[in-house]
Parts: sequence; C-alpha cells; structure tokens
Amino acid sequence: MLVDAGVVALFVAFVVGGYVMAASFLGARLQAPALVLSARYGMMTVPALLLTSTLALVYAFVTDDFSVRYVAENSSRALPNAYTWVALYAGNAGSLLFIAMVYSILSVAAVVGLSRSLPYTAPYATSVMALVLTFFLGVIIFLANPLERLPLTPVDGQGINPLLIHFGMFIHPPMQMMGLISVAIPFAIAIGALLAGRGGRDEWVDQGRLWGMVSWLILTIGLLLGAWWAYTILGWGGYWAWDPVENSALMPWLAMTAFVHSIMVQKRRGMFRMWNIVLVSVAFVLAEMGMFINRGGPVPSVHSFAQSTMGWVFLGFMACTLLASLAAFTWRADTLKSREAVESMLSRESALLTQNVLFLAVAFITLWGTIYPVFSEAASDVVITVGRPFFDRVNGPILLVLVFLMGVGPLLPWRRANARNVLGILRWPLAGAGLTAIVLAVLGVREPLALLAVAVCVVTFVGVGREWLRGSRTRHERGESYPLAFIRLLGANRPRYGGYVVHLGIAVLAIGVIGSSFYAVQRDFNMSLGDAASLAGYDFAYVNAASRTFSDRIETTARFDVSRGGSSVGTMDARRTFYVDHGVAATRAAIRSTPIEDFYIVPSEFTRSGDAVFRVYVNPVVWWMWAAGPLFVLGAVLALSPRRRSPPVSLPLPKGVRRAGL
Amino acid sequence: MIRLIVSMARSLKIWVRLSASVVLLTAALTACAPDSSVPLVEARAQEINKSLMCPVCPGESIDQSQHPRADAMRGVVDEKIEDGWTDDEIRRFFVERYGPSVLLDPPREGAVWLVWAVPPVILLAAGLGLYLVLRFAVRSAGRSRGEREEYLTDRERGEYYERIEEMIGLDGGTQPRSKSAVDTLNVDEAGESVAR
Repeated sequence: MLVDAGVVALFVAFVVGGYVMAASFLGARLQAPALVLSARYGMMTVPALLLTSTLALVYAFVTDDFSVRYVAENSSRALPNAYTWVALYAGNAGSLLFIAMVYSILSVAAVVGLSRSLPYTAPYATSVMALVLTFFLGVIIFLANPLERLPLTPVDGQGINPLLIHFGMFIHPPMQMMGLISVAIPFAIAIGALLAGRGGRDEWVDQGRLWGMVSWLILTIGLLLGAWWAYTILGWGGYWAWDPVENSALMPWLAMTAFVHSIMVQKRRGMFRMWNIVLVSVAFVLAEMGMFINRGGPVPSVHSFAQSTMGWVFLGFMACTLLASLAAFTWRADTLKSREAVESMLSRESALLTQNVLFLAVAFITLWGTIYPVFSEAASDVVITVGRPFFDRVNGPILLVLVFLMGVGPLLPWRRANARNVLGILRWPLAGAGLTAIVLAVLGVREPLALLAVAVCVVTFVGVGREWLRGSRTRHERGESYPLAFIRLLGANRPRYGGYVVHLGIAVLAIGVIGSSFYAVQRDFNMSLGDAASLAGYDFAYVNAASRTFSDRIETTARFDVSRGGSSVGTMDARRTFYVDHGVAATRAAIRSTPIEDFYIVPSEFTRSGDAVFRVYVNPVVWWMWAAGPLFVLGAVLALSPRRRSPPVSLPLPKGVRRAGL
Repeated sequence: MIRLIVSMARSLKIWVRLSASVVLLTAALTACAPDSSVPLVEARAQEINKSLMCPVCPGESIDQSQHPRADAMRGVVDEKIEDGWTDDEIRRFFVERYGPSVLLDPPREGAVWLVWAVPPVILLAAGLGLYLVLRFAVRSAGRSRGEREEYLTDRERGEYYERIEEMIGLDGGTQPRSKSAVDTLNVDEAGESVAR
C-alpha cells in the first residue's frame, strides 16, 4: 500500500519538477511574477514527495517485502534492520532515489536563500535545479525504479554485499553521493546568473561561494571518510589507490577547490567573471562523469563503461550539460567582461589563477589516466592498466607545487608586488621551512623528497601562524588579552581566517600523506599460536585465537600482546569474517593509532589450528590525516558564518520580481 | 631601480647560499646507509607486488588484494627472487602470462606511450596559456594605468588602509585613521609596492 503511494509520489514529483523548470524560466523571461512564484512553491513540495517515496522503500525493507525487486536484491530476512539504511543505497535504483531526495532538500534550501537575495538570478537558477532534478526522477521512473514489483515474490532476498557491513558505510557513501550531486547547486546558480544577463553577473557571487563551499565541504568529508573506510577495512594498510571510482570523486573536488578560490577574485576585484562560470561548469561535468563511472553498475574498474545502459544515460546528460552551458555561455559572453585586469605577474590574483590552472591540470590528467584504458582497448585492442604508480608520479609533483602555492599565495598582496617585497614576505615562512628540513635531516629523515615535501607544508604553518600572531599582537596592543585578541581576530574577517584554518588542515593532511607514503614499513609474518615477532620497535605475541559461528558468518579473532620498546601497550584484536552465503571474507585490522605512528595487524586465512599469515604495518603519522577532518569542518563553518556587522544592501529590484520576491 | 636590483641580488644570494647548504647537508645525510627492519629480499618482493595488478580483482595490486590468486602470485614472485631473477625478468614473466594489463604502471613503449605523453602536454599547454593570459592582462592594465604605475592616489591608499583595519577587525573608516595599527602590521612588507 505504502509502496504504491511511493510510486505515485515519484510520478507527481517528476511532473512538478518539469513544471518548475518551465514555469520558472518562462516566468523570468516573460516578467510574470505569478509564474515564478508558483514554480518556487512547486519546488518546495518536491522534498516531501521524495521523502514519501524513500519512506515507502524503507518500509518495504523493514517489513521484508520481497515483492519489491530492489528489496529482494539488496536485503534478506537475516539482515539487521539497522542495515536498511545501508541497503537503501547499496544498489543502483535505491541510490538514485536517495540522491534525488537529498538533492531536492539541498535545492529547496538554496532556492529559499536565492529568492531572498538574488532577484535576477533566482528564477533561472531554480529552473536549472529543477532540470537536473527532473532528469534524475526520469531515470528513476523509467530506467531504475526502486519500487518496481516482481512478478513472483521470492521467499527470501539475496542480502547485501558483506563489504558494506561496516559502520563507515553508514556515512561515507551517502556523503559521497551528496557531495557529487551538491555540485549541481553552485552550477545552477552560476548558469542562472549567466541566463539573467547583466543583472546576474556579480549578483550571484556570495551565494555561489556559499554553495560552492558547502559542496566542497561535503565532497571533502566524503573523500576522507572513504579513505578511512579503506584504511580500516580493506586491510592493505593504505587509504588511497587511484582507483577509477576514487578518481571520479576526486576530480569534481579538484575543480570545486579551484572555484571556491577564484570566486573570491570576482567578489574582490570584479574579475574572472567568465572563468568562474567555466570552473563551476567543469566541476559539475566532472561530477556527472563521476556518477557515470559509478552508475555504470558496480564498478570494479573502468571496463564497466559500456556494459550498462544506465551509464550511457548519464554520459548523454553530461554531454547535454556541456553543450547547454557552452551555448548559454556564448549567448551571454558579452555581459561578462572584467571590470579590472590582473595588474602584475606577482600578485594574489595571478597566484590564484595559477592555482586554478594547476588544479584543473590535475583534474584532467586524472581524467585522462582514468579513461585511457577504455580508449586504448577500443582503438588498438591493447588492454592496459593505468594504476597507482602513474598517478603518483604525474600528479604528485603538481600537488606539491599546489601545497607550496597554498602557503605563499595568501601572503601576496592583491594587485601587484615586486620581487623584493615578495622576498620580504616570504622570508620567515621559507626560513621556517629550511630550518625544519635541517632539523629533520639531523634527526634522521633521509629521503630528500620527503624532506622537501614536509618543508613545503611548513611554509603554510609559518605563514598562517605569523599572520595570526601579527593580527593578535596589534589587537593586544589595544588592550585585549591574547586569547581574546585571537578569537576576535578570527571573527573579524571570517572568510579569510576560516580559509586559513582549512589551509592548515590541508597541510596537516599532506604531512600524513607524506609520512605514510615514504616511511610505511610492512612485513608478512607466518605465525602459529604462541609465536612472537617484532617489527620496527614493536614486539607482538600471538596469544589467542577464537572462532565464533553466526547464522551467516564465521568470525575468527586473533589476539596479540603488543609492546613497544619493552613497555606493554596492551592487547590488540585482528579479525577475519567469512560470509558463508557469499563466499566472501572481510577483515577488520587491529590498529593502534597515535599521532606518531599506527601499528596495524591484518590477518589472512586461518588454518584449523589457528596458524595464519599476518601482515603487519607500521605507518607513520597517518593519524594526522584524520585529524585534518575536523579542521576542514571548523574552517569551512567559520568561513561561511555570517558576519557580525553586515552593511545594509539595497538592490534596485525590477518591478515584476519585487512583487513576486516577497 | 639599480638599487633595487642590487638589493634583490643580495637577498637572492643569501637564499641561494642557504638552500645550497640545505641541499649539501641533505645529500650528506642521505649518503648514510638506511636502517630498515625489513630484509632486503622482502622489500624487493613488496616493490614488485605493488607494481602488479591482481587479474581477478581489478584495481587492486597483488600486494593489497586478499584474493587467493593474488596470494599465489605473491608466492611466485618470492620463488623467482630466490631463483635469482631480476625485477624486470619477473615482471616480464607475468606480462607473458597475463598480458600487459598486469602491470599497474603502463609500459612506456608501443602505442601506450601516449598515456605518458599527454600529462606533460596538458601541463605545458596550461602553463603557456596561463603565461599568455597573464602577460596580456598585465600589459593592457599597464597601458591603461600609464605613467603613474608605481604611485597611488590618496583614495587608493585610503582604501588600502581601510582594508587592513577591516582585516584585523578594527573600526576603520569613520575614525581618524590609526597609523600605529597599520605600522605594527608591517605594511611595508605586505603591501609595499602599493603603499609606497
């Protein structure tokens, strides 16, 4: 019953989406405020409709209604109800519904904000958002309906992939999907502004930046959670493998990072108007590319490109997006001339532009490496793999240059500088970097590349630290205590200092990546019960093995007594779970994490007597990577929090819009 | 102008010296033998394992995969190392059996070189484009600015001070401008060319 209501709600949402798209656009073109208003209210009903459909699906899961195909394919009677949430997006159809639902909520939030502050842009942006929404709903209804019934009701469902049974799965995939689709919102705002012509060209900057940052933050958290999941469950001691699916999530992140920086130049100096629209369009096209690679079915590799019709639908949509934005761009390009020009090769503007270009270069190189095997196979029948070494070697140096720019760029003045004062500005950060390199070298870091990379991160630490110190000191001299001065300083220019916090986060993340890529130690140990071994200062004894049999799985847990440098650090449990029905095993590594290093044990198959090969890693400073997460959130929230004093803004509203604008 | 070049050269010289000494020190330290708790043979095997893809679990190297096939392939690598094969011989052995796709790093020969050639081209094109755009913009900006290139009008200077005060959260604009706040911020470093 509820399932049928869900289907109806889907159809209604689809029709409403189509109406909003048309009415909002026409209302703006024809100066018909009533039409625009009706479209806005229409948009606001969509989340309720899609929540109904989602609820119907959840209900089908909870009641084990296997007459629904999607439930039969992704659940079973044995599946605990908590995993309904995971099963909801474990398959194609369900994840699309989930994406559409989340997206409708995000776009209503955006539409409310837009119609309050952007009279010219809002109707067009609403129309573009509705277009994307309608596309998704169309795909759901006609190609992958999660509420579709089976002709015969099976007795039990097939269950979900056991690798998904992990608490990382509760947030990482939905976060990632939300991140990819959220790119559509700044995109819609930018295209809306473009369609609105002269009125929209600078009007959208604040809202575009706001939603760009929101999208950036969601993408970042999704990526970080994904890395964390890979690290704890895939049992290979790593967190990033340049796998096609990972790349597909990284590419829009790269373009979005470029966008949230270059939009500041438009806000500040009225420049880069065209460039910003190009950047956000590229980000959205890459996000669609990501969905295409993911939606091509379950993607073990890029080779599933051609195997699913669903993938091609997304590719088609991507091509349409590209053509449509190009057309809109050509139509309106004359309104986008810059107010001012870059005045010097050495300036904040040029540093930001360089950063933008490098980010795009990394994105396109990654895209190239990701899809090259497909070309190669199609063109010459040569099946090859483009794997981690390629990306490490090609992207690594560019990313390092970007980290350097991150340290230096914010210190450069706007407009123009000369070589001498740039040297003056960079004196301390560079000295700090040099000093760190020397100290580390003396302490025994022998890898020149690692030294260079860490030194580059230190540039950011010193640069940001010094800015904070100087600002606080100035306030302190006016009679504020240092802590108060620091907090007030952060509050005084939130976009700037929030950005610094994010930069610190990136530098911290980079330290984690550098340490673990250069200095990870790994070794396999073939151990029987009672054996002891040691690696990189850790002594560990295999003291116990316990097996427990459940209805669907067998869990074997190995217990280790671990000590470091003679003093005990406690016991650690490494587990291997075998899912009988699926014939699949999943591991849960035993990890002891400290800011200095992680000690990591992962078991492979156990024999009956408890013998097993254990792979043991000592991964330095991985902890720092996860510590960067809170910094990103903190920085982004600070940067986006409204200012205390905002000057009253009065915009000349066109007549029609004023009446509609409430 | 000449003074400027001389002082630039002087500070550059300091930097060159400093970085040279860093490089030398690093080189000296790198020369020391690395102490490692992993036997050389095993480290070699790991290196090879990380460069081979597991044929049945795409996207994963045999080093990271837990599939039995990967396990078997790791065993073969260990054997070959014991038999005295070189790294290249071992990789070639796997390529003959599984085709070139077993290498995670695409080979740099035949038609496949294209995959390696394009990234530098992208980077070069991006760099060149960036240079030309900036060059053009800077020129046209310079032309419109004309003679007063190095100087600021009072209005521009005022805006600049306001920005600094806004940045550190002091009440700018309405009050008589506080020179001291600006001075303690060392404006001469951050914005000298503008404020000169």
